[in-house]
Amino acid sequence: MKPKVAFFDFASCEGCQLQVLNLEESIIELIEIVDVVSFREAMKEHSDDYDIAFVEGSIARPMDEERLKKIRSKAKILVALGACACTGGINALRNQYSIEMVKKGVYGDADIENNPYFDVFHTKAVDEVVEVDYYVYGCPVDKDELTKVITSLALGKRPEIPNYPVCVECKKEGNVCVFEEGKFCLGPVTRAGCGARCPSNNNACEGCRGLVDNPNINSELEVLQKYGLTLEDALERFKMFCYREMSK
Amino acid sequence: MKLIKKDEFLNFVDSLIKIDPRRVIGVKSKGNKFIFDTLNSANELRLDYDVTILPPKKYFLPPTETLLKYDLTDKFSVEAVNEVTPLIIIGVHPYDLIALQQMDIVFRDTYQDHNYIRKREESILIGVNIQNVSPYSFAGSMGTATTEEGFDLMLTDLGDEYAIEIGSEKGEAILNKYAKIADADGDTINKVHDIKGKIASKFKKQLNFPPEELPKLLEENYDNELWEKNAQKCLSCGSCNLVCPTCYCFDVQDIVELNLRRGKRVRTWDGCLLEDFAKVATGENFREDRAARYRHRFMRKGKYLYDRFGFIACVGCGRCASACLPDIADPCKVFNALKEG
Ligand code: SF4
Ligand code: SF4
Ligand code: SF4
Ligand code: SF4
Ligand code: SF4
Repeated sequence: MKPKVAFFDFASCEGCQLQVLNLEESIIELIEIVDVVSFREAMKEHSDDYDIAFVEGSIARPMDEERLKKIRSKAKILVALGACACTGGINALRNQYSIEMVKKGVYGDADIENNPYFDVFHTKAVDEVVEVDYYVYGCPVDKDELTKVITSLALGKRPEIPNYPVCVECKKEGNVCVFEEGKFCLGPVTRAGCGARCPSNNNACEGCRGLVDNPNINSELEVLQKYGLTLEDALERFKMFCYREMSK
Repeated sequence: MKLIKKDEFLNFVDSLIKIDPRRVIGVKSKGNKFIFDTLNSANELRLDYDVTILPPKKYFLPPTETLLKYDLTDKFSVEAVNEVTPLIIIGVHPYDLIALQQMDIVFRDTYQDHNYIRKREESILIGVNIQNVSPYSFAGSMGTATTEEGFDLMLTDLGDEYAIEIGSEKGEAILNKYAKIADADGDTINKVHDIKGKIASKFKKQLNFPPEELPKLLEENYDNELWEKNAQKCLSCGSCNLVCPTCYCFDVQDIVELNLRRGKRVRTWDGCLLEDFAKVATGENFREDRAARYRHRFMRKGKYLYDRFGFIACVGCGRCASACLPDIADPCKVFNALKEG
């Protein structure tokens, strides 16, 4: 029996679902090994009968929470797809401000009172609302890793997601460390799996895949300071993608 | 010993690139660092380099390499894979040659690792004596600043020309085929001898005691508080392992295609500093503590491998020291600190 798979999106740019479609010719193979029963970005049909739910996006409103809980209750396996779903992603940037400020800043004087669509709270990652079985990290997710997760689930195996930092993949690439070029990299605490995409293109890692299980944040902060950042600026570097972990 | 004029040497390298069927690798610059990479022209060569980001090990134990491919479409079929590209590698420093000799022992020890061995056998190593010393390197203390073996050819810069020591028939053959050389006279041989004799003293960074004392020193300091203290800064990033010419650990993984019928088994570099390195299927982790992992690498370099193979598995290249952002990986510093007590 092919597992039935459904894709759902919450607050996101839908870039991670697009990565699924970007599997291109392999997508034919995908639909040979799983039954895609719901995928708004790619098809009209929808069914509530599914085994595996891929959830993209972060949770922004009470109505999202309700919808997510329903999805969880129907799915045997729930997979968080992409940074927004796994950690809150860049949507969690707003969590540093009060909700009143955020609403005012975005909607100004528009009348959004009592409108459930605008009833936003501080952004939550999917696992702050329901239990998540597996995570596909990244902004956006990496196609090869996505393939690994799908094939593992189809074979009934636990997907192997790296719990080592980006430096590992960076070193395998033989890169010059971007710290040596005056850039400030979060690679030493960020979960690998992207092939060190940013340092391999001469940019600092921004931490889009979230932190490893046991990041040595203090040491990373010391390193960032040693190379010239103030503590405040060093902490600021984490805000883009690791707001949740850093606010703990 | 032979002599070759520098312009003739460039012609020799260009001939290797254009005519010889093997791929020619050499040391090139990358930013303000150096790397081993495919040469497109002899002019790219930087034999005055201090140290490369990764050692030439990457050609024999690639960062990621396929070991087998399988296909279940009709009936189960599996094929062992060994992607061997014969190479001529130009510009290997003595400490890296010695590290490769250690790898040769490791990969032939209990199991004959053909993926490694074949790649080694098909390749030619042209060494060069160190002209500029990396500030992180302490090869002078480790007896690895020069070597009399482990190369097919060995170059020493004499200003307008290179002296060439011949280390193997393979090396001699490419020289005879592609290079315009002359015989070195007694004076030149003495000069090369002098130059090599002085290299070890050029290293500013020195181990304060003979490396032979390392196994005992480490054994006595297994419970030293230095491990815990330094490890507080350790990022568990594995950089110290991954850049090391004598680290040989790898992980084996299966990569399945989306069709679930075809796939491959790969091995990829691993490192004992990484959190999950010693984690087993039950979830148990034999070196869960950062400090235990941090200590382990030094114990390996200075004691465990010595006990097993009879060599100190650190050639003093200093790569780990320069790659470690919190600056705790330098074996020279750590060993000296242990010695001082
Ligand atoms: S994780 Fe990134 S790419 Fe994916 S939906 Fe969110 S913002 Fe877009
Ligand atoms: S560039 Fe970043 S990821 Fe790469 S080694 Fe340096 S700190 Fe690590
Ligand atoms: S290098 Fe960092 S920011 Fe770039 S893709 Fe990888 S995890 Fe994301
Ligand atoms: S010792 Fe340094 S290079 Fe090695 S894992 Fe720790 S922080 Fe990384
Ligand atoms: S332990 Fe460090 S200095 Fe010693 S061989 Fe390895 S990388 Fe070089």
